[in-house]
Amino acid sequence: MAETHSLLQVIDLKKYYYKQRLFSSEKKPIRAVDGVSLAIRKGETLGLVGESGCGKTTIGKSVLRLIEPTSGQILFADQDILQLNRASLRKLRPRMQFIFQDPYESLNPRMKVGEIVGEGLEVHHIVRGKEKNQRVSDILGKVGLHPQDADRYPHEFSGGQRQRIGIARAISLHPDLIVADEPVSALDVSIQAQILNLLMDLRDQFGLTYLFISHDLRIVKHISDRIAVMYMGKIVEMADGEELFRRPLHPYTRLLLAAIPKLNLQKRIDPAAVREESRLLSSEQGCSFQPRCPHFKERCKVEEPQLLDAGGDHRVACHFAL
Amino acid sequence: MQKPLLEIRSLSTHFFTEEGVIRAVEDVNFEIYPGEILSLVGESGCGKSVTGLSILRLIASPPGKIVSGQILFDGRNLLDLEEREMEKVRGNDISMIFQEPMTSLNPVFTIGDQIMEAVLLHQKVDKGTARKKAIEMLDRVRIPSPETTIDAYPHQLSGGMRQRAMIAMALSCQPKLLIADEPTTALDVTIQAQVLHLLREIQRDMDMAVMLITHDLGVVTEIADRVAVMYAGRIMEYSPIQTLFQQVRNPYTKGLLDSIPSLEEKPRRLNVIPGQVPNPIDLPEGCTFHPRCYLSIEECKKKEPPLFQVNENHFSRCIRWKECC
Repeated sequence: MAETHSLLQVIDLKKYYYKQRLFSSEKKPIRAVDGVSLAIRKGETLGLVGESGCGKTTIGKSVLRLIEPTSGQILFADQDILQLNRASLRKLRPRMQFIFQDPYESLNPRMKVGEIVGEGLEVHHIVRGKEKNQRVSDILGKVGLHPQDADRYPHEFSGGQRQRIGIARAISLHPDLIVADEPVSALDVSIQAQILNLLMDLRDQFGLTYLFISHDLRIVKHISDRIAVMYMGKIVEMADGEELFRRPLHPYTRLLLAAIPKLNLQKRIDPAAVREESRLLSSEQGCSFQPRCPHFKERCKVEEPQLLDAGGDHRVACHFAL
Repeated sequence: MQKPLLEIRSLSTHFFTEEGVIRAVEDVNFEIYPGEILSLVGESGCGKSVTGLSILRLIASPPGKIVSGQILFDGRNLLDLEEREMEKVRGNDISMIFQEPMTSLNPVFTIGDQIMEAVLLHQKVDKGTARKKAIEMLDRVRIPSPETTIDAYPHQLSGGMRQRAMIAMALSCQPKLLIADEPTTALDVTIQAQVLHLLREIQRDMDMAVMLITHDLGVVTEIADRVAVMYAGRIMEYSPIQTLFQQVRNPYTKGLLDSIPSLEEKPRRLNVIPGQVPNPIDLPEGCTFHPRCYLSIEECKKKEPPLFQVNENHFSRCIRWKECC
């Protein structure tokens, strides 16, 4: 899987949470991320899609080392950031930034907008004083806000505007990579569209690379070049956006696509397509999708499917699909 | 022509705050017929939830107040009822389910207790019968092993299961109308699809009307018969669901439809509605939508337009509806 032109390479990433269970001596880990590998080329947008609890946010935070993984490698510009000491990691931080989901919680309410957006520039000693203020003004303009907004506090803005502030903060250091974790989920539909357009414009202007995380496949497909579908800590399918939509191979991907309400009366969801099989026993081994899978075979119980090539740069982890 | 089950006439609900008056719902009119699904759709702050709460007279007063209008249910104006009489309506003739099942279910009671509560309150049956009914309802909403799950606490169930439990609670007394406020917003998309279909199936079986409150046009498309699109407290467009797609006649509705990325089309810049929803205390003069509207002209700023009749079942609050869209 050696990608010589990858800006970001994640290799066999694992994050397990160990919980002490009452009245039990065994420590069963919660496998939030269970062996995920992916690569993103410079200028590419990789969409990471999955429902709640699949591990996508954990991966997003691990990529910037905001969470310490249990094992694996994260190569950014060919350096394993998990091996770096604090000082070296700090030097890399301007090149990798994060956009958070909740515009109400991700901005310090006691800081003015100008201070929030300019903080990175200060802390990394890039520019100061008048020059910094000029840069902040420019960036605010780029995200559709006014220079005067620098003197106001976050609570004076709407959700969509706050998200623009968060985006301004993320691009202030001209990063190479941005991890966007559900950046539009908390916003109204009409504002979502504005912010998506903004993210796409900025990508073109600054040559950004995105890891775009969302549960909404429509949005992910809209903005991504390639898409990775996650289920219970693992990637189950990965392909180019159009290809994934035209030829979904994994039963979970098909379920996701079938479940999305289409704005088309002729295409109302067929209830049979989203009915859940449910086998009460989900074995420790084998495929984790078993209880919900309509194509379940004996092999699925014992052998965990690997992510394998299905042709056309399309990979899938399923015994049935291949 | 069937008589409507619920008739909302010129309903206005305002909130009186220190900063000013919030006209959350302003002169709203619509009907719901027996056995149909009407969806109230709009973005945050449009007044859809307040409308639902007003019908059941659950508006916190102060600071809220239903300042005018009539809510005719089965011929009776609910606003004329004493609180004791209103209690006989809630959970019995009209039920409601809410968005966040974890905050709407009482965490210290089992779901069985919560389902039985409505039954025991409104029907003259003993506990044994009520428990049987509760198990039946849980089975109806396809909760696995209802005889044991009935004794579970909300925190022991997943989000989808909790929402089903809430539906079971709401339907336990076979209401004529169910008000569902964003019932699937907090759920994963695969669970959402199941819950929507369950709702549709049950309402058909029980011949129950549903007022579905949502911001998600996709959800509306899935199960609604008719739609009322709301913006800043007013209804902007009102029509059967097919008409909304074939013949949209309001620029706000059009803007909403265009804002949603499609799976089938190639990615393109989305046609967005510029600006944002106005501050409810400081609404624009004239049409509340005009500052963001691509069809707006001088006249739009002067007077708020009435609902124009486009055809028999289709209404639009726009003076340029003929040119839209």
